[in-house]
Amino acid sequence: MSTAPSLEHDTSHGHHAAPYQGGVMRWLTTTNHKDIGTMYLTFALIMFFIGGAMILAVRAELFQPGLQLMQPEFFNQLIGVHALVMIFAALMPAATGFANWQIPLMIGAPDMALPRINNWGFWLLPPAATLLTLPFILALFGVGDGAVATGWTLYAPLSVQGGMGVDFAIFSIHILGISSILGSINIIVTIFNLRAPGMTMMKLPLFAWGWLITAFLLIATIPVLAGAVTMLLTDRHFGTHFFNAAGGGDPILFQHLFWFFGHPEVYILLLPIWGLIPHVLGTFSRKPIYGYKAQVYSFIAIGLLSVVVWAHHFFTAGMPVPALLYFMYSTMFISLPLAVLFFCWVATMWRGAMSFETPMLFAQGFIVLFGLAGLTGLVLADVAADAQYHHSYFVVAHFHYALFAGGIMGVMTGVYYWLPKWTGHMFSETLGKWHFWLTVISFNLTFMPQFFLGLAGMPRRIPDYALQFVEFNAISTVGAFILGFSQLIFAYNVYKCVKGGKKATDKVWEGADGLEWDLSSPPPHHSWEVQPVIK
Amino acid sequence: MDSPPGFTDEELARRRAMSRRLAWILGAVALAIYLVGFIYYRP
Ligand code: HEM
Ligand SMILES: [Cu+2]
Repeated sequence: MSTAPSLEHDTSHGHHAAPYQGGVMRWLTTTNHKDIGTMYLTFALIMFFIGGAMILAVRAELFQPGLQLMQPEFFNQLIGVHALVMIFAALMPAATGFANWQIPLMIGAPDMALPRINNWGFWLLPPAATLLTLPFILALFGVGDGAVATGWTLYAPLSVQGGMGVDFAIFSIHILGISSILGSINIIVTIFNLRAPGMTMMKLPLFAWGWLITAFLLIATIPVLAGAVTMLLTDRHFGTHFFNAAGGGDPILFQHLFWFFGHPEVYILLLPIWGLIPHVLGTFSRKPIYGYKAQVYSFIAIGLLSVVVWAHHFFTAGMPVPALLYFMYSTMFISLPLAVLFFCWVATMWRGAMSFETPMLFAQGFIVLFGLAGLTGLVLADVAADAQYHHSYFVVAHFHYALFAGGIMGVMTGVYYWLPKWTGHMFSETLGKWHFWLTVISFNLTFMPQFFLGLAGMPRRIPDYALQFVEFNAISTVGAFILGFSQLIFAYNVYKCVKGGKKATDKVWEGADGLEWDLSSPPPHHSWEVQPVIK
Repeated sequence: MDSPPGFTDEELARRRAMSRRLAWILGAVALAIYLVGFIYYRP
């Protein structure tokens, strides 16, 4: 240890002792931001494959009309748990893994400010994920009727009447929420208090900015979701009637509460990605990020707007015309700051000395495909048009362009970009490119037909369908299986890179810019023993 | 890395104390948002 002041000097004994323990205890008790980041990312990858397996079963059933493989009840369970797993156990933990690894490195902090809470935030996740999926296993032994079958939105009155899978989901969501809030608190206080001397807020890396806004959104909205599911719990077991019309309650109230959380949630998932994309584009265009300030202000604007547009998810449930108009225009208004981001991304590449390594390919694929999510979102925001599209496959296609092409491909951009820094090894470019092209092609094969299915009137969340939808469904299923299996290339590439490979330089990428690239690859166990000073 | 331009020990301790305070405040805000829903009466 150097004599320089470091965070460890006045923290817990656990913090100091953890690195010297071996085996399982090391991971159980670690308070090191890199270890915790690694655990988050590993957990996310595992859950990504579990959630993926569930939806491949769904797509297999949808390959042909009629019921071939499963009962409708089980089909519903798979769809709902798939969404909950992907959102809460894959995308969010992946973003938190990035935050843990990168925020201290990028802002010149020795570690996260609250290392023990950090450990706790992670270790809440495995039990929560277990609770969510356990009812599947229990049902095999004749206990209960399987997992939550309401879809991830848990709408009342279905969720009030549902089986014990709903209770498991409620409990799981509470734990996941606590984990998210602990993580968010840690990120906020770290960014506010542990930036290296000279790093003003307007010099903060965009990735940290994106996460900062996400963290505030989580603290503002997770408690509302927790409240909603608690009310659901008391409706189910303790005789209240919050959502029960027969008892004077209101099922639409649940939709308001859920989407007050649910809409910001989609920005929660994407703001960390929007933060990391400019770094990648700048690196591989060998240019500074274009419009830093414009992007920061856009993040803030999107954060603020995201909490006032929720009712666009249930226009068709009925509301006064002025409310319809308000939610329509405010929703459309969000596309303005979003367009600013798109402009800055393209302008960062404009006339740059571009090269097309795997992270850059993913970043560019992200821009194009995520653009389609934004454009189709605008269509859905139109009250008159939404009456046709609501609850159809058009919505499913829209949010997979947002959450797979925007979210998952964004996460993969970050993994490919930072993996050499984390492991000290280069991954295989060849496999990376295979992974990229297979992903992009099969992704479009899977989800593009779903736009047309939706336009033609196929409702979402049904295991059987009318004959005019046959071709598009078959194409979509074929695409989904290619998409799913292509991700094994990714897992293999990451695994090989962790195990060994060509040595990575400290800077890794020729055009890389930022504090993290001054550290060795992999960085020392305690990142910044001495804070760098920013000019 | 011998001439430490970064934080002194005291400065770091101060920042950690600030972090803990802010963390408690944020936690309290989250809890308050959760609880206010139960008290709030919808006519
Ligand atoms: C300009 C941007 C966007 C607009 C105007 C927009 C608008 C909408 C609207 C109006 C709906 C409701 C459709 C319906 O159910 O009838 C919707 C659904 C959805 N959107 Fe977007 N959206 C935008 C971007 C995004 C982004 C960036 C994400 C994710 C990161 C996202 C994720 C979702 C999800 C998950 C749903 C469906 C939720 C469900 O019913 O299960 N959207 N969008
Ligand atoms: Cu929304």
